[in-house]
Amino acid sequence: MKKYLTTASLLFASALLVGGPALAQQGITDTEIVIGDVEPLTGPPALLGVAASIGHKIAIAEANSAGGINGRKIKYVLEDDGYVTARTIQGAKKVIEVDKAFAMLGMSGSGQSIAVMPVLEKSGIPTVIDVAPVKFLWEPARKNVFVVGQSYEEGIIHLVNYLAEKNPGKKWGLITQDDDYGITVRDGFDSVVKAKKLNVVYSGNYKKGQQDFSSDMLQLKDSGAEVFLAGGIIAENIAMMKELEKLNVKPVTGIFWPGRIEPVLKLMGPAGDGIYAVDYVEPFAGEAGKAFLEKAKPLVSEAELKGINRYTMTGYAAAKVLIAAIERCGKRPTWACTISELENTKNVETGVMAPISFGPGVRFSNQKLQIMQADAATLSFKPVK
Amino acid sequence: MQYLTQLLISGLAIGAIYGLIAMGFAVIYKSTGLVNFAQGEMTMIVAYIAWTISTTVSGNLFVVAIGAIVAAVILGLLIERVVMRPMLGEPVFATVMVTIGLAVILRSSINFIWDAYPHGLDVGFGRNIVRVGNIGVRTGQIAVIATLLVLLAAIWAFFRYSKFGVAMRAVASDDRTALLMGISAPRVHAAAWAASSVIAGIAGVFFAISYDLSPAMFQLGLKSFPATILGGLDAVLGSGVGGLLIGITENLAGGYLGSGMKEVAGFLMIIVVLMIRPFGIFGERDIERV
Repeated sequence: MKKYLTTASLLFASALLVGGPALAQQGITDTEIVIGDVEPLTGPPALLGVAASIGHKIAIAEANSAGGINGRKIKYVLEDDGYVTARTIQGAKKVIEVDKAFAMLGMSGSGQSIAVMPVLEKSGIPTVIDVAPVKFLWEPARKNVFVVGQSYEEGIIHLVNYLAEKNPGKKWGLITQDDDYGITVRDGFDSVVKAKKLNVVYSGNYKKGQQDFSSDMLQLKDSGAEVFLAGGIIAENIAMMKELEKLNVKPVTGIFWPGRIEPVLKLMGPAGDGIYAVDYVEPFAGEAGKAFLEKAKPLVSEAELKGINRYTMTGYAAAKVLIAAIERCGKRPTWACTISELENTKNVETGVMAPISFGPGVRFSNQKLQIMQADAATLSFKPVK
Repeated sequence: MQYLTQLLISGLAIGAIYGLIAMGFAVIYKSTGLVNFAQGEMTMIVAYIAWTISTTVSGNLFVVAIGAIVAAVILGLLIERVVMRPMLGEPVFATVMVTIGLAVILRSSINFIWDAYPHGLDVGFGRNIVRVGNIGVRTGQIAVIATLLVLLAAIWAFFRYSKFGVAMRAVASDDRTALLMGISAPRVHAAAWAASSVIAGIAGVFFAISYDLSPAMFQLGLKSFPATILGGLDAVLGSGVGGLLIGITENLAGGYLGSGMKEVAGFLMIIVVLMIRPFGIFGERDIERV
């Protein structure tokens, strides 16, 4: 009897060791693997949330049409948080605990992804964040959370450095939003101002949701600023540029990537011609951008095609990296293996940004930046050589 | 001087938008005793409908204007009949909560029906810049100031001389007595909602022409609310004037005290005014606040 029990115990233990973890792993069946996402799909920030989710869908559709991940089709579960932090946490919990997602993508805006971090860490689910890269997400490095992109601060430093080199000795103006995004922009700007001793003659701060910038731009004009960093997001930058046009001034203007979407140029009209922008994804006017649009056409609906912008590229790149990592885990992917393979990601080509790499203890891909300039005639951003 | 003039003109232009929306608040309050917290959302929906007309039917100014007015009337009547009329006789707090719920639904509908991208409402008018010396103003901004002034005069005449205007005032004053006098309160309420929707819609269309159209536009309602409190919640004309005062105050504060003061200046102003005249500059002393 004793011998029988020992044999049975050993068999049970070996069964657990060999197949146990794989069978116990959530979000995987013989035919399907679930990838979850929480994005703002309603309200003004839907502009980024919807676009990012379209990027995820393109990468998933591409993988599914090639047979899925080692024979398993990817099921994409998407939750709307309306850009409300409490709903991001609620949505992430639902996707992890109810939908039993195997891995996560996206995770809404910067404030939302910071707030949801404890949920992600506690669950241990492999996650690739792509919408709003802010330092807190990778410093300190979390075992299961990876970030594709470049930090807001680095982006601003790159842009201001470029504009400072092109416009030596000029007077500078800056306006930022009164939130964490605005603080990051201002911090990046201030670090270059200090290093290069720039002459800042106007420094404004507007309340989130402000729509009329007449007095702010009049102050900018009055200050005599010749180089202007417009720290708005989308509608704010449009309003500022139109106001400057009305005031008959045209300083050299730089904008940041959250506002670098092509429809903005149409709304700015001639006022937007020549503005500079910084980004780590390819412009749609370039070869890579055109190739991406061609690739997307058969994979998404007509309406989704219209919703594509730069965030679609960041979403696509993150999903490609995640899918490739799961794929490398073979027939029985686990969270541990996926995290390990994400860590092993080395120079993965996505076609929409520089190759992506992580490493041991490195959870941030630190993408290469490039400067672009708006061309009002073609309503596009073109790389500056 | 040029700096001050530019601030005043820009202040009047945005103030006229606030004024129109504030008049919408006051029309509903005067006729139903209710504060409609979905006023900004109604402004936005009508502007989006106007944009849809301009891009799908015709970009002709008159086609867009007539289409938008008809749409605004239908929207106002629909809200009154489907959402507000069942709340007749219910506590004011419950009814106000319904308007808050309505605001959330209308706000969310933008992404479901349209999209999150900003759009420009192009009707071949309003975007040109008129320059007098070094002062610049868009034709749409001149038009909205003129429209507010015309509407102020028209509404004053309507409430003073038209039978229906007097009936609306009677319902606002005492709906039971008005009912005994043969006035249909539901009909007056429906007319008030339709009129309020049209006035707010006009503001929305002008804003979209002069600035742009985006899902954040509903915030105009929040910015206009101080105008109606300042002018008097029951004073339609006062609310219009209140909008101009708020617009000018905001711009002067932004221009002379700094950007950060711009958004709070209007609210600071109403705190001071309400301490002195709790019923607003042009409001009646015995109004009930909710």
